[in-house]
Amino acid sequence: MEQLEVHNLTKIFGRKRKAALNLVKQQVSKTEILKKTGATVGVYDANFKVKAGEIFVIMGLSGSGKSTLIRMLNRLINPTSGQIYIDGKDVAKMNEEELRQVRREKINMVFQNFGLFPHKTILENTEYGLEVRGVAKEKRRQLAEAALDSANLLAFKDQYPNQLSGGMQQRVGLARALANDPDILLMDEAFSALDPLIRRDMQDELLNLQEEKQRTIIFITHDLNEALRIGDRIAIMNDGQILQIGTGEEILTNPQNDFIKEFVEDVDRSKVLTAQNIMTAPFTTNIENDGPNVALSRMRVEEVSMLLAVDKRRQLKGSLTAEAALKARKEKLPLMEVIDKNVKTVSPDTLITDIFDLIYDSPTPLAVVNENGRLLGVIIKGRVLEALAVNSSEA
Amino acid sequence: MEFVDIFSYKLPIAHLIDQLTNWLTTNCAGFFNLITKGGSALMDFITNGLLFLPPLLLIVLLTIAAYFGSNRHFKLPALTLLGLLFVYNQGLWTGLMNTFTLVLIASLVSVIIGIPLGIWMAKNDKVQAVVKPILDFMQTMPAFVYLIPAVAFFGIGMVPGVFASVIFALPPTVRFTNLAIRQIPKELVEATDAFGSTPKQKLFSLELPMAKPTIWAGINQTIMLALSMVVTASMIGAPGLGKDVLSALQHANIGTGFVAGLALVILAIIIDRFTQKFNQPIQAKPKLTPKQKRNHRLIVGGILAAIILILGAGNFKSLTQKAKPTINLGYVDWDSEVASTNVIAQVLRDQGFKVELTSLDNAVLWKSVANGSVDAEVGAWLPTTHGNLYKQYHNNLVDLGPNLKGVKLGLAVPSYMNVNSISDLSNQANKTITGIEPGAGVTAAAKKTLKAYSNLNDWQLSTSSSGAMTVALDKAIKQHQEIVITGWSPHWMFAKYKLKYLADSKHTMGRSENIHTIVKKNLKTDNPKAYRILNKFTWTKEDMESVMLDINNGMSPQKAAQKWIKAHPKQVKAWVD
Repeated sequence: MEQLEVHNLTKIFGRKRKAALNLVKQQVSKTEILKKTGATVGVYDANFKVKAGEIFVIMGLSGSGKSTLIRMLNRLINPTSGQIYIDGKDVAKMNEEELRQVRREKINMVFQNFGLFPHKTILENTEYGLEVRGVAKEKRRQLAEAALDSANLLAFKDQYPNQLSGGMQQRVGLARALANDPDILLMDEAFSALDPLIRRDMQDELLNLQEEKQRTIIFITHDLNEALRIGDRIAIMNDGQILQIGTGEEILTNPQNDFIKEFVEDVDRSKVLTAQNIMTAPFTTNIENDGPNVALSRMRVEEVSMLLAVDKRRQLKGSLTAEAALKARKEKLPLMEVIDKNVKTVSPDTLITDIFDLIYDSPTPLAVVNENGRLLGVIIKGRVLEALAVNSSEA
Repeated sequence: MEFVDIFSYKLPIAHLIDQLTNWLTTNCAGFFNLITKGGSALMDFITNGLLFLPPLLLIVLLTIAAYFGSNRHFKLPALTLLGLLFVYNQGLWTGLMNTFTLVLIASLVSVIIGIPLGIWMAKNDKVQAVVKPILDFMQTMPAFVYLIPAVAFFGIGMVPGVFASVIFALPPTVRFTNLAIRQIPKELVEATDAFGSTPKQKLFSLELPMAKPTIWAGINQTIMLALSMVVTASMIGAPGLGKDVLSALQHANIGTGFVAGLALVILAIIIDRFTQKFNQPIQAKPKLTPKQKRNHRLIVGGILAAIILILGAGNFKSLTQKAKPTINLGYVDWDSEVASTNVIAQVLRDQGFKVELTSLDNAVLWKSVANGSVDAEVGAWLPTTHGNLYKQYHNNLVDLGPNLKGVKLGLAVPSYMNVNSISDLSNQANKTITGIEPGAGVTAAAKKTLKAYSNLNDWQLSTSSSGAMTVALDKAIKQHQEIVITGWSPHWMFAKYKLKYLADSKHTMGRSENIHTIVKKNLKTDNPKAYRILNKFTWTKEDMESVMLDINNGMSPQKAAQKWIKAHPKQVKAWVD
């Protein structure tokens, strides 16, 4: 018996549940069922096991039923059918009182919008779980302060949630759950409301916590990169059903159906990103009008040492370095004669993987030029590296 | 197969409602009496306490409270000080305190019932589905309708006033509480559940604190509605400023009506501003240190102790005076009855009675004498005018016979109109008879008259109040227009204007009538001395008109009565010996 086992868990909202169930069994889509019966399929026939100390990620697009699934684990939503075993006891069959004990001692939750009580201070929020359990005041203060201390928030303990940034608030949410020292932690899109940088920090923090003490974590996200970073195993959901469960590697290398293929395509960005996704605006000089002084002053203003040379119709003619411009000024030459005509060009839909080899040994940026020879933008090394790094902000 | 035409058969809804209230009145009498007794005692306790404090001291205390309550701004304290001084200056202080007590108790009861009900509604969709239409019904039903069962259940005075106010003012508190709890973000509710809170923990740590500002807004609404009910409740004898407004309406005194109304406005604004203070959104405020908390507790405790002490002292004072036997006189706010009731009240006071005067609608007054909540009234016009009421209640009251002989009712017109009898009327005065209160005896007689005379079959009777009628009469005479009124004498209008009664060949407006004194059934055994005085009380039309004229010329009813008593010592002596 694993720490958490879920068998045939199903949730149908609304009326005519029987009819809806029959339709689900026939693989009819969610929208069809809603049209026919007026019932919404939240989750259908979910089966999985989670070992103690494992981070189990459930992911899917919005409306795939992942939030409903996680809420059934602690019975915030009552399942229509199925069993949920925590340490071998079926939560779905428990009465109010038994369920309350399980929620107090075994399973806690962190919410997407933090779920902090606006009328309580940070400390009062953090000790809430302990207060509910009836822990003596001194003792719960101590535990809550310790939890806040490990989240580096002790200084803020007498502040109110609305005085804190999003990241801090979510650390409070996490501290509130951890102060209780639960066996299982449910995290419902816990980092989705934070900005990308803080999100990475929080992911790191969570992994650090896991190193100190192995907890069972059920983590919900719609962001595959997040799932790959922190998940020991990942379950992908769509239309209320779990399509595949496996490690990140298994899912990337062996997607079991087209939906998942499409889903994981995103992650190998070098295969889908093209030149036009990463090009920046070019600094140009119009060599039919400008002389070397104009070109040099533009370089000073833009803080660059090189400009792309174009004609009036923005046709790419070459590149102009600062040295070449100085030479032209000294020798009174027109710019036309000092530009370097050997600029490497790529078309806008060149894949990043191909650009990578080109830019690697090119001293100058690459120019992005369309089929008519018109200059659209430039690609610099930094942007390529940035794009290749796994960045969750664009999920 | 016989076809039953449902449109020719009127459903007996009114009858059923009557049956139900009668059943309740007889079967729950003990319960209602207990509430009436307890409620009256509590409200007297509060009012006595408030009135025990010198008004100026109370005004200063409230101003100080306003100053500290409004974070040391000057607007609210200035308003409190000037507004209350104005009310005191206008001699409406007692009325203000009575009104305040009524509003306080009505609001408290509304809150005590409303908040739990609102919580229950928020937690249970079925309860919401049942309660919501009931609340809509309560709020849209005209408040006058509640007055009728209120009198049946609780008699007259403060308690039925509170009952009616509560029904009228309860809905906002319930609605806002329900709304506030339902509006708490779902995630927060999930959070409390996820940590395994019991429903009680959820209520006190999340729902009530989060809902507090909205609930306060609801309570504020409730208080304002209770305030707006005081005028209506005064029709069934609730004391306070409402009585002044109502009396001003019945006598068409624009000035006094305006002043009493203004006093209500001042009270409303002060209460509103004070309660707004509690109605502030959740915000981060610095935590109090233990020492500050202790100080706060001391201050609040001190204030509470002081209030209890003052209330106690005020009531101790009134208890020591309670040795006086009390007699409750009811009257309708007609000029004739104001005169006679004030005279007999003054006579009884001189004989060592504590007299409570209650102004009521005529029908309610008869009912109140019959059920014993009023001891006596000296304005029963018999046999015709109040004949119907006499028929209805004569088994439950004692008729002590006439106290004034030879009064007259009739349709009256200004003497410049060239009609002399009711049968001469054809299309004068827009075919309208300008009447008084719908419950008055003369109104019933006028209705009978409209039916009896064939030339009046397309005439109509427009009821209003005796004050409004005299204003309309005054206007018509000044503009030399035609008007037909329901008149009665003795009345000062016959002295002031040239009026004539229309001859009444069918005698539907009654032949010559007398004014009787009627008392509750067991007054003779309860209070023999008062019974004897009331029994002997008789005077003449001229006596009454002299008092009426004094009152109409601006003397207060009590002063006019005292003046008359001074001038007729012999007559009064004959009543009391």
